[in-house]
Amino acid sequence: MNGYGGKILRVNLTTGKIAKEQTPVDIARDFIGGRGFGAYFLYKEVPQGADPLGPENKLIVSSGPMSGLMIPGAGKCDFTTKSPLTGGYASASMGGHFTAEMKYAGLDSIILEGISSKPVYLFIDNDRVELRDASEFWGQGTIAVEKQFKEKFGEDFQIAVIGPGGENVVSYACINHDFGRQAGRGGVGAVMGVKKVKAIVIHGTKSIPVADSQAYRNAGKALYKACKDASFLEEWTRYGTTVVTSWCDEVGALPTRNFSAGSFEDGKNLYGPVMREKIVITDKGCFGCPSPCGKYSRSKKYGSYVEGPEYETIGLLGSNLGISDIEAVAQANLLADDAGIDTISAGNAIGWAMECYEKGIFTKDDTDGLDLKFGNIEATFELIGKISRKEGFGAFLAEGVKKASQKIGKGTEKFAIHVKGMEQSAYATHNATAMLLAYMTCDVGAHHNRSWAITYDIQVGRDLVVPEKVARVIWLQNFRPMFDVLGGCRLQWVELGIDRDLYITALDAITGIHRDWNDYEKVGERIWNLTRMFWARENDGFSRSWDLPAPRFYEEAPESGATKGQITKIEDVHRLLDMYYEQRGWSNDGLPTSERLAELNLSELVA
Amino acid sequence: MTATIRTSSALRDFLDGKDEFEVEAGHTVRETLLSLNIKPELIALVIVAGEQRSKDYVIQEKDEVKVMAIIGGG
Repeated sequence: MNGYGGKILRVNLTTGKIAKEQTPVDIARDFIGGRGFGAYFLYKEVPQGADPLGPENKLIVSSGPMSGLMIPGAGKCDFTTKSPLTGGYASASMGGHFTAEMKYAGLDSIILEGISSKPVYLFIDNDRVELRDASEFWGQGTIAVEKQFKEKFGEDFQIAVIGPGGENVVSYACINHDFGRQAGRGGVGAVMGVKKVKAIVIHGTKSIPVADSQAYRNAGKALYKACKDASFLEEWTRYGTTVVTSWCDEVGALPTRNFSAGSFEDGKNLYGPVMREKIVITDKGCFGCPSPCGKYSRSKKYGSYVEGPEYETIGLLGSNLGISDIEAVAQANLLADDAGIDTISAGNAIGWAMECYEKGIFTKDDTDGLDLKFGNIEATFELIGKISRKEGFGAFLAEGVKKASQKIGKGTEKFAIHVKGMEQSAYATHNATAMLLAYMTCDVGAHHNRSWAITYDIQVGRDLVVPEKVARVIWLQNFRPMFDVLGGCRLQWVELGIDRDLYITALDAITGIHRDWNDYEKVGERIWNLTRMFWARENDGFSRSWDLPAPRFYEEAPESGATKGQITKIEDVHRLLDMYYEQRGWSNDGLPTSERLAELNLSELVA
Repeated sequence: MTATIRTSSALRDFLDGKDEFEVEAGHTVRETLLSLNIKPELIALVIVAGEQRSKDYVIQEKDEVKVMAIIGGG
């Protein structure tokens, strides 16, 4: 099959059985690859009611038809599972070089099944696939382990590894790769950890078949040229995602003290140019990337050397904790990466705990003696370690803010910032109705990467609740994650403004199948509806209430900053959902109708 | 008295597909953006001759002003 590795690798960790099967042509047609393959295999193969931490759950790692080819940013890899954080669908996208090696080893997906009785790592060198003893690596941080594997097998091997957070099954443990890239969200690292898989080590040398090699080369060149000629290549590369920090502060989107505000009085110390000047030492990109957004930083104060912090980490481990020292954020970033926990969820959990502490709900007796005032850098460092080790107060926060707040009660649920149990990424949404809706309806919980609509809010009117806004969110949800399906990065399109039809020319040449963007959008819609059905199948009573945002955004207006005095009224929250369900072709409870499922060729799969 | 203002290509959706405009010098970037029906709050970065400027920078004759909006997020 052109554009594909051609094989699905299944590894049963309970029995040790390793098997390969042909990548199904019809599944490639209907779900393309990457996140699409993950959604399909998850729905089809993980039985209803499976314990996310039990042997029936699977971890599905997938590349896409772009992956490993000379297309800008063609290094995205998808990790899908049933989330231990949310109990629903989890799909985490990871940059770097891992997915390219998957394709060179002839693999479109790796499916980890069952549970190993002892720590192992999966070793893949082309057709040689082995489960090997990982006892000597168990308990070590991600950076040390990746380094040891690189020394042992060579630089050409790519490694996806969990840290103590994954081993200890922290609900928001991540999977690390390339010393600073993560499949961050939804607890994919916890699933790998409970399966006792410390790492996947992979290398391949096979060719990826393409339908028309000359047309593919020409299309690839055109894409790279478009990136090189882009007006803002230099600025984007200089700052990466940190270019957005000052802007978020200005418009009231920078999470501040557990999202109680969207502007931070000391925010200037965290801005991209400040970070560039103070700690950035070089840029770092993923496979085939002409516009590297990764920044390596060195903090003299803490002695840390880390890829990052990127914007999300600055927002959640910086301003959201009342911390304005960019070097401290870099150090916290390093600690979280090495421990293998998601900086977004960890920043939310610590921010929530700090607010509880400042309100007197927690005292030092609850926090293992930590003085959890906002801005306490040392306590933040300490807590990251405690969470990853599930030690004392850290074990309580390791379940995520939804479960922690439900255990404590006392009104703390109102400032537990999550949707469906996933902590919100770094955009405060007190008065940005499209962005709020994007979080409410995101397929994994409160994550921004499916639909980032806050610019649209600002251009058309932040508090407007109109069908056009809802349509924009839906279009973005169907379209943007297609890059996670194709195995590539969306940032060249969204930030450099590359003509998206250039991708069509390339994909046609690679696969030999003509599809236009409407066709891809349809696939995006199919995946969106399938994952919605997964949520409904796995959670009794799944309906509209699951789509509600944190009450903070409709009950408590910020007392300072750009959004001072502003909230979205609960009536408007429901109006947004009414319009969203109608435009999606869903019921008033937010479930896809049988007609909609039939239109998307999903009836048989979800029957 | 004219200058050029170039916007992020990603803003084309809001600007009838255009991303480059001839503008009158002597006005601030903020005023100029408003005259083009672009909300100044959309803009994260203003660059003139390689230097970062504020939205209150007064555009000079023959300036090539780059204004960058963020569309993708982190």
